[in-house]
Amino acid sequence: MATSLLTRVKARVDLHTSNRARGLIQGRGRSMFKGSGEDFDDLKYYQPGDKISDIDWKATARSGEPLIRQFNEERVRHLSIVADTSSSMSATAADGTSKREAMILAAGMICFLAQKNGDLVGLVGGDEQRPIQLPSRSSDGHLELLLRSIQQATTTASGASDSAWLLERAFRVTSRSTLMTIITDEAHPDVEDFSLLRRLTTRHDVMMVRIADADPLQRESLDHDVVDVDNPREVASLARSSKRVARDVEAYRRARREGISEMMDRLHISHLLTQGETTVVDDMIAMLRAREYRHGPG
Amino acid sequence: MVMIFWWVTALLLLMGLAVWAITFWNRRAMRRSPVVVANSSYLDRLPSFVRAQRTARVLRAAQVGIAVIGVVAAAVLSGRIATERIETPDFATRDIVLCLDVSGSMYEYDTEILETFSEMVDGFEGERVALSIFNSTSRTVFPLTNDYELIQRELQEGAEAIDFDEFGYRLGSRSYDEDKVRRYVDFVDGTRGIPDEASVVPDGLASCGQLFDQAEQDRSRSIIFATDNEVNGDPIFTLQEAVDGVTARDIDLYTFFPGAYECGPECLEELQTTTEDNDGELYQSSDPDAIPSIINDIQRTQAVAMGSTPTVVRTDHPTVGFVLTLLSLVGILVLGWRSR
Repeated sequence: MATSLLTRVKARVDLHTSNRARGLIQGRGRSMFKGSGEDFDDLKYYQPGDKISDIDWKATARSGEPLIRQFNEERVRHLSIVADTSSSMSATAADGTSKREAMILAAGMICFLAQKNGDLVGLVGGDEQRPIQLPSRSSDGHLELLLRSIQQATTTASGASDSAWLLERAFRVTSRSTLMTIITDEAHPDVEDFSLLRRLTTRHDVMMVRIADADPLQRESLDHDVVDVDNPREVASLARSSKRVARDVEAYRRARREGISEMMDRLHISHLLTQGETTVVDDMIAMLRAREYRHGPG
Repeated sequence: MVMIFWWVTALLLLMGLAVWAITFWNRRAMRRSPVVVANSSYLDRLPSFVRAQRTARVLRAAQVGIAVIGVVAAAVLSGRIATERIETPDFATRDIVLCLDVSGSMYEYDTEILETFSEMVDGFEGERVALSIFNSTSRTVFPLTNDYELIQRELQEGAEAIDFDEFGYRLGSRSYDEDKVRRYVDFVDGTRGIPDEASVVPDGLASCGQLFDQAEQDRSRSIIFATDNEVNGDPIFTLQEAVDGVTARDIDLYTFFPGAYECGPECLEELQTTTEDNDGELYQSSDPDAIPSIINDIQRTQAVAMGSTPTVVRTDHPTVGFVLTLLSLVGILVLGWRSR
């Protein structure tokens, strides 16, 4: 309790950010939220992923190319974090760190950016039995409380992952249009959540941060047992060390990853799959830069 | 079958149980911090994973089974399973002549004596046995010999052949097939040398006494003499003379009397006095089934008379335990290597 979570996150972000990323956050920090707002800024060429409703039909007719109106956002913007605080997020990430820490770091990075710009950040999380909801606020205390809520809600005793409920909940409780960051893991959201996600994208600008799971076979550390947080069954060393099983597991995970990635691409949701605490900051910076280009002039 | 060091077996089994119990209670504590993963339920849908898990389960069961077999086999091996046999070493110098009256009234007792002896032959080591049968004349079926194969064969064949109710057959109340009749006739052939005479007991006994050879050697000599003493003819010797002759050659006489047939109590009296006057023993029973225990009695009497102490001879049977222990050890090594 010596240092606040937000301070720790700041330290990590500073540690991880190179000079090129620093520019993104400090100098052109506002530009990454460029898109919707009241003040008209500029016209730009339509890119796949832009909203059809933003197309300026008159300008399009004049130029012959589809053009969209771009607005500078309002001074105060609304951000929301949808955190999957289920038990599976308390497990081990692909790089061996804790998925929860990676999630806190991802959420903390959003808070960090919001703090710089004085934006409001809200939280949706929990499960059906114990839903968590924090209103949009911008104070440091609120951001700290938000990170702590995520940290404390995510334990092995939490409920099992239910991405459909979480997405539904996020849609219902966040009536204002926000830049929404959904933080979940490799196996979520389910391909069946397509329509829920699409409904979310109609109201919000959605970013998806997914944290990869550790290999359930753990072939390198046979001395340690492997326990699934929701399904604690014993996995024999024989099954863990089998090449054939490893191949099948890899094939299954690749298929699942590709299925979800494809769904995200179809919905034009910015998404990333990160290995864990060690990579999440870099991956998020890369994603934000990519978004900037997407919305930016070039 | 006895277990000589049964307490070692019990101790080893108890120790095995204790080791198992200790590891059982500590099986969680022995594990190191587990890796917690998530979203791995799909593993159960991978056929290769399900197969590997099943194989691992079978292997583990086999390991436990083999370990249990190994511990039990080693414990049993250490317990030294052995068979016990009571041996009387001096008995090896015995010469036994079975001297049987094969007159019609005796057939059940003769059968029983022959059967009992044929079973006892298995335990003989050095004893010599002869068989002589008599009615009006005497026939030596086989002389004193230690060819136990022959003895056993002859005694068994004799027991089957003599199991023949001659009176019943003659009266027509019993019928036998031809083969049985022929074997009976063959067996008793030569015992009816004198027509119209039967059971010339003293002469029969006297000729049994002639069967002993190696008179210069220090051997125990005994006659097992079974008769109802119903003399029906003209003996050369009197019973007294015959018994005296036997005694003079230092032969122990064990007489078996099945009970009077037609003769009165004087037959028994004569047999009893002559036998016991010459330090013999007389056993009497009208029950053929009592014969095995009577022959046991004779054995014991002989053991006492010879002053030899019966000793317990134990023979270990380690083969099964040894092979099982070895195999389970090999199995544990192989499986252990496999699941490393």
